[in-house]
Formats: sequence, structure tokens, C-alpha cells
Amino acid sequence: MTRKLFSPARLWLGALAAIVLVLPLVVTSHFALDIFIRILLFAFIGVAWNLMGGYAKQLSLGHAAYFGLGAYTSTILLIRFGISPWIGILAGGVVAMLASLPIGALCFRLRGPYFAIATIATAQVLMLLFLKFRDFAWGAEGTTIPNLGDSPLMMQFDSKAAYYYIALGMLALGLAITYWIEHSWMGYYLVAVGEDEDAAEAIGVDALRIKRHIYLISAFLTALAGTFYVQYIYFIDPTTAFSFNVSVEAALVSIVGGIGTLWGPVVGTVLLEATSALLQSWLGSSHGGVQLTVYGLILIAVILWRPAGLIGLLTEAYARIVRAGPQREKEALLDG
Amino acid sequence: MLETIAQAVVNGLLIGGIYALVSIGVTLIFGVVKIVNFAQGEFVMIGMYISFFLATRFGIDPLLSLVISMPVLFVIGVLLQQFLIRRVLALGDMPQIFLTFALSLLLVNLALLLFTANYRTVQTPYSELTIHLGALYIPAAKLIAFAVAMLLSGALWVFLRATDLGKAMRAAAQNRDVAMLMGINPDRVFCVAVGVALALAGAAGSLLMPFYPAYPMVGQVFVLMAFVAVVLGTLGNVTGALIASLMMGVAESLGVQFVGADSGLIVVFLLLLLTLAIRPNGLFGGWTR
Repeated sequence: MTRKLFSPARLWLGALAAIVLVLPLVVTSHFALDIFIRILLFAFIGVAWNLMGGYAKQLSLGHAAYFGLGAYTSTILLIRFGISPWIGILAGGVVAMLASLPIGALCFRLRGPYFAIATIATAQVLMLLFLKFRDFAWGAEGTTIPNLGDSPLMMQFDSKAAYYYIALGMLALGLAITYWIEHSWMGYYLVAVGEDEDAAEAIGVDALRIKRHIYLISAFLTALAGTFYVQYIYFIDPTTAFSFNVSVEAALVSIVGGIGTLWGPVVGTVLLEATSALLQSWLGSSHGGVQLTVYGLILIAVILWRPAGLIGLLTEAYARIVRAGPQREKEALLDG
Repeated sequence: MLETIAQAVVNGLLIGGIYALVSIGVTLIFGVVKIVNFAQGEFVMIGMYISFFLATRFGIDPLLSLVISMPVLFVIGVLLQQFLIRRVLALGDMPQIFLTFALSLLLVNLALLLFTANYRTVQTPYSELTIHLGALYIPAAKLIAFAVAMLLSGALWVFLRATDLGKAMRAAAQNRDVAMLMGINPDRVFCVAVGVALALAGAAGSLLMPFYPAYPMVGQVFVLMAFVAVVLGTLGNVTGALIASLMMGVAESLGVQFVGADSGLIVVFLLLLLTLAIRPNGLFGGWTR
């Protein structure tokens, strides 16, 4: 029993949890905390995307649609009706789920590249529509979120650490949901649909229903990230909220890390954001385009040499370290 | 009113010719190699910068630089097929979609790095020239671009039907395995298909240069249009892409004219979503597949 309770995997997880929990107490630099928050946020968006793109293999390039709907729902509730973003964040999630139903109905009949193109179009249409909603949603100019000072009930904080813990909480939630789905009947159905949709249907899996369910969850989680992001930067406009870059980054971090794996998006985000932070500190921010040029190169390299993602490298290295112990003893015995 | 509509239709048709060059390239690559090239717009961008630098450094007219941009892009296309696309052909959806996607990301940002985000324009003697036809105003540069675009599309049509290589390409598009059994070398056919597609994108770039600014993100305008046109015209169908592109141009232009300056794209995207909902195989795909 005790051996199971303290399995190496659990020990590692515990150590990791301890480190990320005390990190903001040790690191107080705003610049570093900002990077950590970005990592947590984009890892979370990646985890949400991964449910759709990784497990069900529905390669969406339009997750900005839900990010934006979450952001706009909570902001409209806050500014027009004075409702706390804590309620708004859930309302945004529900709005995103409702939106995912017609979008899914339209796109799920399409496969592969058709699906990807259709999802781009849905996010673009939403962005263009919000550019037109001048009276209700501030049109192209966007709006700043009124700064109420340090008011936790309105999801506004003076310390960056608070935002850090919220983002960490969201990521933990996303990972827990993914873990739970992975180990439930739904996970097996999802993988079956992802591997071969026709074969899955042939053995009695209702592929459309499964895709609809996972899309609901994925949309809900992505919307949470949208609300959090606008609360964090105190600003919203259609090009920020429905930015194509959000859709891209969600897919990118998952692919680089490893799609269809629990930790893939996290590994991918840490790698990409760390690279981008390093580039920024080396070159300064004056060189527009460097970051995404490097992202493009990394993505091409991963696709050509490691289409399963970089997480495979990590698990192989880990297995080698774990195995190395007993093996060395054996070799010592043989030598002796 | 009637004149306004006629003017909007003419404007739409003229720009639709450029959309056609881009979307024919996308549909050709998809038809033959079975890959959606998300980077097609970036090759239009490269074509534009080639023409821009030839015009500013050596004073070569953008339209004349077509004879340089097209072969250069053809070679890039052959290299692209040989060194990148070929390696993901046996892999699943994810690498096939995201390879060209990553390439697009890379090219846009490399251009941003090298040429900055500034708009580059080339002034030609015919840039401001307009022809009056009754009540209609027809900009000469756009008319020339349209005419050359149609000429190139026609040449491709003849190439696909009258030459052995063109027939081999159509055969490979219809059934890769049987084509191989008939002695067609797929590697060669794929290289030519991607090369030709990129050459068309390069031509579109050169033709745009007299009346459209070059900037790193310029390709995204055209590739989105091209995707819509290619889906409408049924992926892989060259004639379908041509007709759909002209329709897209007109739909966009009418949208701008009657719904508002920023509504052209909404009209186009709604058309796409509507088409996908009603006829997922496009207008020319037939009901069964």
C-alpha cells in the first residue's frame, strides 16, 4: 500500500506541485511573474484545445471564438450590469458552450482540412461581428476595464501573485478534467473516434455525440481563459479577444508538446514561452517577428522529426534514469 | 442604382481574377498532392516583394517582372515539395495540415524581420490610369491583372488537358495508385504540381504590385479568399475554383457596397459556412462522393 501511495510518478507530481505553489513567494520580479502567468494561461488554453484536437483529433484553428466569447460575456456583464467577473467567467463558459453547439453541428460533418478551414471562418465571423456591435460591445475601439483597485470580489488584484494562483488553479482544473476523461469510457471513445472515425462508428460509437460532448467541455474551458485574460490586461477589443494568434498558440503548444497526452500542452508551452522570453531578453522587443519565426521553425522541426511531440523525449529520458539504477547494480554484479 | 451595382460587379470580377490565381494554386496542390497549402498566400507575398525590389532597384516594370517571379516561385515550389511536403505525405492529418501552416507562420515573420511591417508600393505610369466605359470606371492596372490572370488560367487548363505531363497530373489526382501502375512517376508529378501552383501565386504577386501594397501579412487577405473559393468550387476542381473565385470577388465587392466597408469579409465567410452547411462538397462536387 505504502509503495503505491509513494510511487515515483506521484513523488514527482508532489514535488512539481510544491515548486509551482511556492514560486510566487520566492520570485517577486514582475517580469518573471508575467512570464509564469502567460505560461500557465497558454498551457491551460492548450489543455482545453488538446481535448478536441489531441484526443478527438478534430484540428480546430478557431478556438479564439470561445476565448473571445468568454472575454466579451464577462466584460459586458461587468461594465453594463456591474456583475462580478467571478459570475461572468462562468456565464462566459456557458455562452461558449451554447455557441459550440451550432458551430459543432456545422463543422463536425467536415473532416481534416475542411474542418480546420471552417473553424477559422467561425472565429473570423465572430470577430467581424463584434467589430460591428458598436453600441453594445464598443466596436473596433474596444474598452478598458474600469480599475477598481484591489477588489478580489471583482477579480482585480494589486499583486500579480493572485493572478498567478488563479491561472494555476485553471490549469489544475483543466489537467484534472483531462485526466478524468482519459480514464473514463469517454476517453476510450474519444481515442477511437480520433484514430478512425468510420471504424469507431462501425463498432457502435456515436462519433457525433462524442465530438459534441468534448467540444462543449473544450469551449467552456477556453472561455474561462478569455475572461481571465481581459481581467488581467484590463482591456478588450475584437482583435485581441478573437485574435487568430490565440487559436494558433493553442494548437501550437499542444503539437510541440505532444497531442493527445495529458502533459503535452504544458511541456510545449514551457518550451515555447521560455524560448520566447529568452529571445526577448537577448534581442529586446525591437525585432518584431523573431518570436514567431522561431516558433515556426520549432513547429516544422517537431512535425518532421517528432510528430508525436517532445513529451516522448522526456518520458524516454525519465525511463532511462529510472532503469539506470537497477541496471548499474546488475552490471556491477556481472563485473564482480 | 443599376450603375452602382454594375460598377461593384466589375470591381469584384477584376479582383476575383487575382483570387483565381491563388485559389487555382491551392486547389491544384490539393487535387494532386492531397495537401492543403496554408502558406499559399505567403508565396503571393514573396512574389510581390520580388516585383517590388526589381522595380525599385532595377526599374523593371512589375508586370514585366512576372517572367522572373514565376520561375523563381516554381523552383521554390519544387524544393518545397521535395524537402518538406514529401516527408509528411505518409503521415496523418495533423502533420499534413500543420506543416504548411508552420511554413506560413515562418514566412510571414521572416518577412516582418527582413522587410519590417511597412507598406511598399510601386508607382507605374498606368497605376492611376482609368478607362471610362459608359458610366463605368475601370482601373487599367486591375484590368491588365485580370486579363493576364485569365490568360494564365487558360494556359493551365490547356496544359492539364493537352500535354502528357498535364494528363499525368490529372491521372495522379484521380487515383494515385492506378496512375503509378500506369508508369507515372508521382514524385515528378507532385513537384510540377506544387511548382506550377507557386508560380501562379508568384504571378498573382507581380500582377498585384502596381495597385496593391506589399507587406508581410498581405498573403492572409488572399489565402482566406482562396480557401473560401476552393471550398465553394470543390477542393481539387480547377475550373470550380476559377468560377468560385470570380463569384467571391463579386460577393465581397457587393458586400462592401451595400452592407458597409468592413462587411465584405463577413459576406464571404457567411457564404462559406452556408455552403458547408448545405453542400459540404462545394458547388461543383455533386451530391454524392
